[in-house]
Amino acid sequence: MNVIDLHSATRTFGEGPTAVRALRGVDLQLDQGEFIVVLGPSGSGKTTLLNLIGGIEEATSGRIVVDGIDLTNMDEDERTEFRRSHVGFVFQFFNLIPTLTALENVQLMAELVGKNHDDSLSALDAVGLADRADHFPGMLSGGEQQRVAIARALVKKPPLLLVDEPTGSLDLDTGRQVLTQLRAVADRDRRTVLLVTHNAAIGGMGDRVVRLHSGEIASIVSNERPLGAEEVEW
Amino acid sequence: MVSILHRKLWRDLRLRRSQFVAVIITIVLGIALFGGTYDAYQNLTDSYHQLFANLNTADMTIAGGQTDAIVQGVKGVSGVADVTTRIVADVPVQVNGDHKMLGRLVGIPSGGQPSIDQVDILSGSYPDVSAPVLIEQHMAQHFDLKAGDTIQVLGTNGWVDEKIAGVGASAEYLWPAESRQQIIPSFDDFGIVFADESLLAALPSTGAHTEVLVTYKSGVDTKGLDQLLEDFAKNNGATNATPLADLPSNAALSEDLSGFQEMSLMFPLLFLAAAGMATYVLLTRLVLSQRGQVGLLMASGFRKRTVFAHYLEFGLFAAIVGAAFGAPLGGLLGSVISKMYTGALSIPATVTTAHLSTALIGVVFALMAGALSALAPSMRAAKLVPAQAMRGLIPAGKGGSTWIERVVPPLGRLPARWKAVLRGVGRNRNRTLSTVIGVVLAVTLILTFWGMIDSIQVLLSRQFDQVNRQNAQVYLTGQATPDAVAEIAAESGVAHAEAVADLPVSIQSTTGQYHTELLGFRPDTTLHSFIVKGHDVPLPSSGVYLGTSLEKDLGVKVGDSVTIDVPDVNIHTTQTVAGFVSEPLGTYAYISLPELTTLAGGANPANTVYLTYAPGAQPETMRNELSALPAVGAFVDSQALKSMAQQFMGLFYAFVGVMLALGGLMAFALIYNTISANVAERASEVAMMRAGGISRHTISRLLTSENVLLTLIGVIPGLLFGYVFAYYGLSVYSSDLFKWDLYIRPTTYVFTVIAIIIAALLSQRPVLRAVQRLDVATVVRERSL
Repeated sequence: MNVIDLHSATRTFGEGPTAVRALRGVDLQLDQGEFIVVLGPSGSGKTTLLNLIGGIEEATSGRIVVDGIDLTNMDEDERTEFRRSHVGFVFQFFNLIPTLTALENVQLMAELVGKNHDDSLSALDAVGLADRADHFPGMLSGGEQQRVAIARALVKKPPLLLVDEPTGSLDLDTGRQVLTQLRAVADRDRRTVLLVTHNAAIGGMGDRVVRLHSGEIASIVSNERPLGAEEVEW
Repeated sequence: MVSILHRKLWRDLRLRRSQFVAVIITIVLGIALFGGTYDAYQNLTDSYHQLFANLNTADMTIAGGQTDAIVQGVKGVSGVADVTTRIVADVPVQVNGDHKMLGRLVGIPSGGQPSIDQVDILSGSYPDVSAPVLIEQHMAQHFDLKAGDTIQVLGTNGWVDEKIAGVGASAEYLWPAESRQQIIPSFDDFGIVFADESLLAALPSTGAHTEVLVTYKSGVDTKGLDQLLEDFAKNNGATNATPLADLPSNAALSEDLSGFQEMSLMFPLLFLAAAGMATYVLLTRLVLSQRGQVGLLMASGFRKRTVFAHYLEFGLFAAIVGAAFGAPLGGLLGSVISKMYTGALSIPATVTTAHLSTALIGVVFALMAGALSALAPSMRAAKLVPAQAMRGLIPAGKGGSTWIERVVPPLGRLPARWKAVLRGVGRNRNRTLSTVIGVVLAVTLILTFWGMIDSIQVLLSRQFDQVNRQNAQVYLTGQATPDAVAEIAAESGVAHAEAVADLPVSIQSTTGQYHTELLGFRPDTTLHSFIVKGHDVPLPSSGVYLGTSLEKDLGVKVGDSVTIDVPDVNIHTTQTVAGFVSEPLGTYAYISLPELTTLAGGANPANTVYLTYAPGAQPETMRNELSALPAVGAFVDSQALKSMAQQFMGLFYAFVGVMLALGGLMAFALIYNTISANVAERASEVAMMRAGGISRHTISRLLTSENVLLTLIGVIPGLLFGYVFAYYGLSVYSSDLFKWDLYIRPTTYVFTVIAIIIAALLSQRPVLRAVQRLDVATVVRERSL
């Protein structure tokens, strides 16, 4: 079953001669449990693609169906509702709330969908941070903060995890730890992970690698043997 | 390098011209009000001094005692320039045919101006035998009296027609206050008449007394001479010795002058504080929005001090432009206020100078306000770390649970979003502190002035409804005998009437002397309440009650003895102080009428009648009917006095109203600043929450809660400070003339808190709209969430 189904998805910013076509008629289908890496240079449309699938932005034209839900023509409130239960986001900068502990940051999202304290603790445990639950973000390393952000995204148990440059502000070792967690989300939890990066080395980890160029899909390549995080070098 | 920054400065100013224009207008208002009120204060002081000099006003007025001995003795005192005497009498007069009132007849010599306390003839001519009276201008205006008209004066043999020679003004009665006890006159009931000495000589001796007027040579030690003459007068049996500064009119106007002096500081301080606050808000937001630019400038080699100076110039620019318009406007305003004030009070001489020194002080005030308000944002800009600033990221601060969670463990079970609210309060200590200080200031400002309004309203009501229970007072043409009182009581519309003695008295203790009125009431009187230590108590069968300010002024306490001199009924006695009565207006002495009669050797001392109206009686009808009685010489409407008192509070209310508005404005500006910074600091977090599916409504609610919590934290100390400041503010105005005890209505506390919360809620509306409009996708891109 396709978790993501994009048909001729287009996103244009502005109008007239100054209009910028960030995404030009993209067709893309992703299956459950797939680990997809989207690569491309700056301005290729990676973040726009992620925002369209996540319901943060509205497509100018085309059709986007996620987890069986058609996002076309949804208003802002409906898209908020959609994001609440179907998508988890992980960003480059972790954006944890500094006044809440690691566990409470996770709970903030868990409470949205009626999950309890144990679910939040399990999510932290899943990223290997159960013992750091009561620590505030200021007491955690960058990698740990990113893992809390992953737990925060996963606690809602969304079918789709959208990840934007998760290692952008991490060193190699820490980045590998985070990638390991993300890979496990797809393999262990059978969730679809869409990871956007400009780091080509991470492409080796994907089941499939989507290359974007000037808002269009330049290629989609399947990896017969995806690399483990520990094998990735950059 | 600098010129490019100036170009940026200019363009930034143009881009935010409406906000800067608002700041500049506030500075202009602050400086103009400072210049206006301070110049007015100086001009009015100069006007009074000029008038005192022109009319050779007495530096000391001595009443009663051995007049000849006092005159001779005072003449020999070093520093005394001139000494003269005159007769003064409070007698019933009738104007416009049938309007009966109390007139103060002030004797002036036949044939020419007195050497001391001269009268400025505004129209008509100086009195002579054919037209022996000159009407004081306030009375003349109120009753539309002019030269050639006639008034009736109650003489020994009844009403006597007296022709008016003209209308005059006196420095002694610039404000026609009857006494220090009745500083607010009712023009319907009391007026000043300058009368030829021959007219006064023909009046009954009761009520008339001789005054010794003294002027000093210039350059003498006024205070020292005042004290010397007061002691001398007292030793010669004088009932009262009043220095120029303590004359009722002068004391009343001095209260106004102090008001102008205070306003000249308070108003600009508030306006400049508001302007400073607005500049601070504006620049804080500017620096916040230009973090990237600042980072780039510093990364490119601009020095910290250049960046600092650049942002400081925004504040200085607003200050310079504000001062450039405000200072000349202040000079103009000073002249206008001086003219309007002297015009309103009919003060004949007016100095309307614009003082250069005032304008210069105003400019310095403006520059200080501009520089101080821009200081913190400029320093913040100069301290930015270029790399961090260029990324546009705002440091989020450290986390930690709050003390309240430690004290109240169940709070630990709150949902995470409410914990975020609770902890958000202490997240940025500087911001929390500035908000709390702002709220404290605003609450203090609002409660101080609202409390003062409450107190004055409550105390006026206490004076005129609770203490003075009579509806009217009538002075009789003869003694207030039981028959005369019965005649009044029998009038239709009169519910109750009592004879009352109202006599000038001199009270002396071992450390001081005070001149006031002694009121003698029936022991079972229902027309006056005696509030002693908060309780309504009856008159003592022996001894006297004194106004509370005499406890300090005479240095006496309950049980001590004081000497009482009542020259009108030849009483010289020692009485025990039975208690101190709390009365907001004036400082009187009270005694039981039977006791006073005994002291007067059995003679009836009652000279007036207090009365109440029956339900439904119309005050104006009662005035007319009672005035028509032959036995009635003068009529005083007690409620008209209350209305007059409230009318005179108009300026004060306007002043307080402006303060209240400024308090609200300040609260608004401060909270707006805090919330703006709060949200700007959290754009990434808010975007993350929005991306995670938290609704805009929930985020708005969380931010609102945090804001209200912060506001409430500031409210409690604000209420305390407000109480203390209101107490202090009223105590400054308290004297033997007015005694303003602080009384704040419980509803005022509630309304103050509600007003602040409303200001907080309103101030966050623009910010919440920004949250509503927050484009998550844009933040994701710009900040690379």
